Amino acid sequence: MAMKFSTKNFTDRTKDNISDDFMRKAVAGAQERLHGRRLDAAEELGNWEEWRSHGEEIRQHVLENLDFYLHQLSENVAERGGRVFFAKTAEEASVYIRDVVEKKEGKKVVKSKSMVTEEINLNSVLEEAGCEVIETDLGEYILQVDDHDPPSHIVAPALHKNRDQIRDVFAEKLDYNKTSKPEELALHAREKLRKEFLAADIGITGCNFAIAETGSISLVTNEGNARLVSALPKTQITVMGMERVVPSFEEFEVLVSLLTRSAVGQKLTSYVTALTGPRGEGDVDGPEEFHLVIVDNGRSEILGTEFQSVLQCIRCAACVNVCPVYRHIGGHSYGSIYSGPIGAVLSPLLGGYDDFKELPYASTLCGACTDACPVKIPLHELLHQHRQVIVEEEGRAPISERLAMKAFGIGASSNPLYSMGAKVASTAMRPLTKNDRISKGPGPLKEWTDLREFPAVGNQRFRDWFYDQKGGK
Amino acid sequence: MTGTIRNRDTFLTEIATRLGREPKLNVQKPVWKHQPQRAVLKDASADELLEVLRNQCLQIHTDLIETKLADLPKTLAEAVKLYGGGPLSLWKDERFDKYGLTNLIENEWPAENIEVNSWDTTLGEKNIELAEQANIGITFSDMTLAESGTVVLLSSSDKGRSVSLLPTNYIAIIPKSTLVPRITQAADLIREKIDNGEQVPSCINFITGPSNSADIEMNLVIGVHGPVKAAYIIVNDC
Amino acid sequence: MKVSLFITCLVDMFYADAGKDMVEVLERQGCELSFPKGQVCCGQPAYNSGYVENSKSAMKNMIKTFDGAEFVVTPSGSCATMFKMYPEVFKDDPQWRTKAQELADKTYEFTEFLVDVLKVENVGAKLSGKATYHPSCHMTRLLGVKEAPKKLLEQVEGLEMVPLPNAHNCCGFGGTFSVKMGDISEQMVDEKVNSAIETEADYLIGADCGCLMNIGGRAERTGKPIRVMHIAQVLNSHE
Repeated sequence: MAMKFSTKNFTDRTKDNISDDFMRKAVAGAQERLHGRRLDAAEELGNWEEWRSHGEEIRQHVLENLDFYLHQLSENVAERGGRVFFAKTAEEASVYIRDVVEKKEGKKVVKSKSMVTEEINLNSVLEEAGCEVIETDLGEYILQVDDHDPPSHIVAPALHKNRDQIRDVFAEKLDYNKTSKPEELALHAREKLRKEFLAADIGITGCNFAIAETGSISLVTNEGNARLVSALPKTQITVMGMERVVPSFEEFEVLVSLLTRSAVGQKLTSYVTALTGPRGEGDVDGPEEFHLVIVDNGRSEILGTEFQSVLQCIRCAACVNVCPVYRHIGGHSYGSIYSGPIGAVLSPLLGGYDDFKELPYASTLCGACTDACPVKIPLHELLHQHRQVIVEEEGRAPISERLAMKAFGIGASSNPLYSMGAKVASTAMRPLTKNDRISKGPGPLKEWTDLREFPAVGNQRFRDWFYDQKGGK
Repeated sequence: MTGTIRNRDTFLTEIATRLGREPKLNVQKPVWKHQPQRAVLKDASADELLEVLRNQCLQIHTDLIETKLADLPKTLAEAVKLYGGGPLSLWKDERFDKYGLTNLIENEWPAENIEVNSWDTTLGEKNIELAEQANIGITFSDMTLAESGTVVLLSSSDKGRSVSLLPTNYIAIIPKSTLVPRITQAADLIREKIDNGEQVPSCINFITGPSNSADIEMNLVIGVHGPVKAAYIIVNDC
Repeated sequence: MKVSLFITCLVDMFYADAGKDMVEVLERQGCELSFPKGQVCCGQPAYNSGYVENSKSAMKNMIKTFDGAEFVVTPSGSCATMFKMYPEVFKDDPQWRTKAQELADKTYEFTEFLVDVLKVENVGAKLSGKATYHPSCHMTRLLGVKEAPKKLLEQVEGLEMVPLPNAHNCCGFGGTFSVKMGDISEQMVDEKVNSAIETEADYLIGADCGCLMNIGGRAERTGKPIRVMHIAQVLNSHE
């Protein structure tokens, strides 16, 4: 799946999803639980703001010195016998991986969850080359079995599905004949997937953080699938977005602590694994061959711009879990594998405004995302920044809006003009007013009054009252 | 064995250019303004750390069993029975002998027909197969993080990754002396290794309870790909 | 204490009563009030839509209008936040930046001014009934005023405060969002209205007229029985 997965426009996608009652209940429930857990985990530390500041300073330092740390990382991976490939584009990355797999005569690929491999459309490329590709994260597996349903959340990709839907999919595709109890469904997946792990030639993982000083990569899961993917197949290929590097284990541990708390409210997830190179001399398990693919795919174009801070992201989805817009429209409405506030900032940067220009407007700029971000990305400010670019640099706003805003610029800068406008508006609206309310507004007001009452302009504006009472002090 | 690096120069030059400067060849990590991690459980005693671990185990669905050094064989034997007996998969680890478990492993369990497989590099891939068939995997903890309830396992040729991963159940033996406040101290340990010129192990696992998933309706399911149950046996060795 | 009122467009045009209530509360606390005549709009509607350049003339007008004021007090957390952002907007314009900073430094949201500057929590208000409070997003998160309104409301005689479920979620106003993304806004405001109804409160109280216009307008349209009040109206009640 590439980053963009829908041909419908934003409004239609949103309408579809708003009418999906199950999805909305699931998302609301998940948000409430995760919100509470995250707050508890933060409160327990007592000095969460200091943790956030530390996370921020680490990520900012890395981005400012990204070339150095990637150089150091690659040196140390190679020193331990790993093979590093720097991929400028999605295609370069996926073609390289396909070539490695073909050279190894790999037929069966097991994957642990990785957003960047979705971004580079890796599964399709490998499948076209005749490989069987199996997603092993339970959520990703469910989506894959269900004819490649797109993920709707960067941490819990199958959040939009209910247990009955999953049972039906398993029954149809996996000969499943038990109930829709999550335990039974998960056990079935365990049994199916354990066989796949043991039989696979190639393991492909993402990378939560790469550690420059030691040439290590790390994988954070609760299920343990990333451990299996990296312990059993003979060849391991790890794919990372180029920004996901940290200087050393000292910074790694801080960011992992921030990640697991922010994502799921856990102090650490069940498994955090740091892997350095292929298996060591004399080792029996672990890969014989280790490849690290470092992907740019549009990220370098974000560096040095007003959007640079978005690359601080550690993919915890805390912003998604507090977003009141995501709450109602779910992940699929975004039309991108990256959904929620981080998706609304990142997708237009990586995928362009042609496909994603609506996303920055799908926000009330309420700031909940910014507040939740463990590395202090000013997400709502970046959404606003997108709007500014769309309007002022790209000139993509509708003419009527541009004219209205121009008029605003003039009218709102002088009291006489404003007062004149207010009087005109007041007079124009009077015939529409009933019981101090306007229920059917004209022009732009219609969008408001389709949903809500609009208050009538008062008989006396505040300023007129004030002058009357206080003599215009 | 040295690996390879491809396409690096143009890639990194592009980054430097975007950042508006020449490529950087040397960067000193700054002294960070904030270091909140150092304050967590800063002056806690071993007993206080143990208390933190006890509480944390309740959160992570992990049984915690406390025992004296002299009782460890008995405790471990009971735990193995509790989780359904063998086959067992063990690291090859001198600590089993040091903690008085040799008799249990070499005599008592075999006498009870409990199959024990210690990691043996000469068997090659057979080790993985045996771990996969095992009912319980047993390892020591190299470092134990009280705050999160985590055992840190440093793998090596005798200490395969599979032992804590493939069996249906997992038991970690935790010498009380391995307790530290949190993952910060694990990073310090790695720093020490680097400073001593040692290589970082090819695989370091931070394991916090059994495998689990909340991918179906956010319902917690314990036991997905890794062990279905996890238990910690704390040995009072200090 | 000399206070210059920044009344905001919404209060000026639609909610003059809330403005009058604020005047009376402040006067009772001994403030000497003025209304600088040149004030219009803080520029937020254009700014938030991305029209930063178009919004600057409105901002400059406000900076000029409040030049020389000692304290600027406004019945809106959102509009106060906009003033606080002026220095960032003019960061590359040294002349306006300094003036913008002066304005930002002396601007207070109404409840913040009462509690933090005047050090008053009990303004002698009385209102009988049950109420819930909607913390507006810009006021709590961007301006950082969280406790002041709660402290003031706790002191209102006869008023029982009950918590609003999922209070932290935005009501779906978001300025032009409310009309640009009507489908989504509708879902958000419905949830907010329903949460308020669930509390069985008589009043939903807020400190931003944008949110109140949204929540109140939707409650009324869907026939939900809850009265929406600006906090100034509550603090000036004596029944």
